[in-house]
Amino acid sequence: MQASTLSPLIHLVDDDEAVRSSLALLISTVGLRVQTWAQPQIFLAEFDREGIGVIVLDVRMPGISGLNLLQLLVEQGVDQPIVMLTGHGTVDMCRRAFKAGAAEFLEKPVNDELLLEALQNGVRQHVKARERTQIDRDARARYGQLSDREREVLGLIVAGLTNKEMGRALGVSPRTVESHRANLFAKLETESLAQLVRNYAALVDGKS
Amino acid sequence: MATIRRRVTAWLIAWMLLALAGAATLARWELARQQELFDTNARIAHRLLSQRVVQHDAILATLALLAVPGEAANRELRLPTLYPQIVSIQRRDGDAVWPGAAQQALDAESRRLGRAVLAGANLSQGQYQVLLGAEPSSYLLTIDARRMVPWAEWPFPADSSPVAVSLSHGAQHMVLQAGRGGPADGKSPWGWQFSARKVLAAESQPLDILVELRVGWHVLPWGWMVLWAATVAALLSAVQTLLRQRSDRLRDQALLRLGKVARLNTLGELAAGIAHELNQPLTAILANTQAADRLLAEDEPDMGTIRQALSQAVGQARRAADVVGRLRRAVEQRGEAGLPQAVSLQEVARKALYLLEPEFQRCQIDARLQAPGQPVLVMAEPVALDQVVHNLLMNAVQAMDQPGRTGRVMTVTLESASRRGVLRVRDNGPGVAPDALPRIFEPFYTTREGGLGLGLSLCETLIEGMGGQIQAGNVSPHGAEFVVSLPLAAEAP
Repeated sequence: MQASTLSPLIHLVDDDEAVRSSLALLISTVGLRVQTWAQPQIFLAEFDREGIGVIVLDVRMPGISGLNLLQLLVEQGVDQPIVMLTGHGTVDMCRRAFKAGAAEFLEKPVNDELLLEALQNGVRQHVKARERTQIDRDARARYGQLSDREREVLGLIVAGLTNKEMGRALGVSPRTVESHRANLFAKLETESLAQLVRNYAALVDGKS
Repeated sequence: MATIRRRVTAWLIAWMLLALAGAATLARWELARQQELFDTNARIAHRLLSQRVVQHDAILATLALLAVPGEAANRELRLPTLYPQIVSIQRRDGDAVWPGAAQQALDAESRRLGRAVLAGANLSQGQYQVLLGAEPSSYLLTIDARRMVPWAEWPFPADSSPVAVSLSHGAQHMVLQAGRGGPADGKSPWGWQFSARKVLAAESQPLDILVELRVGWHVLPWGWMVLWAATVAALLSAVQTLLRQRSDRLRDQALLRLGKVARLNTLGELAAGIAHELNQPLTAILANTQAADRLLAEDEPDMGTIRQALSQAVGQARRAADVVGRLRRAVEQRGEAGLPQAVSLQEVARKALYLLEPEFQRCQIDARLQAPGQPVLVMAEPVALDQVVHNLLMNAVQAMDQPGRTGRVMTVTLESASRRGVLRVRDNGPGVAPDALPRIFEPFYTTREGGLGLGLSLCETLIEGMGGQIQAGNVSPHGAEFVVSLPLAAEAP
């Protein structure tokens, strides 16, 4: 939630000064922030991996090719969507790029609408992905606060048992079950049964 | 150099081994044949002499049988005239005693055995005696052994045979026939010795016959051996030539393939380079102008930024123009290399046909060359002309290489007409589509899938660079024809 409040940042990596400045100008016209990088190595060492945004890579660069850089970024767990740009794309190159995890593969000279749409899509995807991971992280933290008995009860709730059935299964009274249930709803900051199942079913399955 | 020497040495060694093995086999055959001949003749000699000594037994027996006591020895005296080997006949009637005690003992021995016995041998004189003790008379024959040889039937001619024949009895020894250049001479210490020793087939005359033959190196079939070595040398050199021709051809094909790949790689590299060089400024131009467009659409356009974007676009357009100019200059400089010279169209056509022969075979194309006897000499740059003809032939092959088409014929025709040498390449494929015909020499125009569309364009550029022309057309009933014409070279270069 906190990341999406910052305005997204586009990282543009291209060794050609004219291409960098013109594309940066074009991207800025839709209100996206742009950071340009002339050298792939410096970009790799210094760019902000936590921020929301999209990475645009030229395929043909000195030192390290765009495709290799793409592979390196994916291997390092960078989650920003990556858009590849090439002046001389072949089918083979395109296939390799998508296989390596590129979000989009565009040919130079690139049409403004195509590029901007790809970037905006990329930003949206990234925000969603980050939100999803944030929810997961929060859910895991709350789940950690539950006692063992509460976790057992949660598992049975997810399995669809009634309070009475749970009491029989756990050897306690339905009343006690009811109190565990109220506690865990409070700890997990959940209002409805549906929300509970949606957010925590995976954790219960993972643990049991 | 070292490789060539090593290869020559290997061939020489192979030749020597084969020649030696063959010669040894031939020599063995010849010696075996000689041995067999010798053995046969030795058997014949043994048989002939045996017949003679048996005859002596028969004569003695007959004499003893027919003897009349007291009768004059007329009959016996006539015998030496009938049998020249019989030197003398002695007779003892009844109780008469032989002069020597030894002979008397032999007489008794003969009577006891009931057959003739050897009564003494003096082989150094060439004589021996046979005695038969019998009633009423005993006989003693003195034989001249040398005269026993029936020369008419004898397998070894007396004056020319190299075979030595001798008789022996105990330690005694006599030579019947010395043999020319035989063992007695001791002339040839090298060679092969054949010998056969056998006792004659009569108990009364147990003489050994010894037949010997020494043959020298000269009996070996030298003529055949030399012929064999020469044949092997001829065969090996033929094989070597064939192998070399084959490898030459393989190399030619490999070079050709290499050239094609290299050309394709160069073109691919070039295309990628051009694309990158041009696409960078184009990208900047497009991005700048589109950004300017977007900024202008805003309520309060930032004119400063817009102006900056447009001026950047102008700069990048100039950069693109520079790239194109550089490229052009590079290509033009390359085109100026190589000076035109007198080239025989026949040679060019034959070379191209030879190099593509495997292609023709693969596609079952009957490739024909129709050319005048006189070489058609044109002014051309040889490498470029090779390239052009090769491209035209390949085009024809590709045009005809379609399934279901039979009777594929490609004809290359050469002629000289009004100061120009003309080369026509005609195929009987589907021909060129009418709408493609006007554009066929345009760069990057292709009707073939995966084709670059540069082959014919390159041909045209090269031919025009040499002051020639190239035309394309269709022929009836179907097929395409490409005509290259080039200025003829001066009459006598």
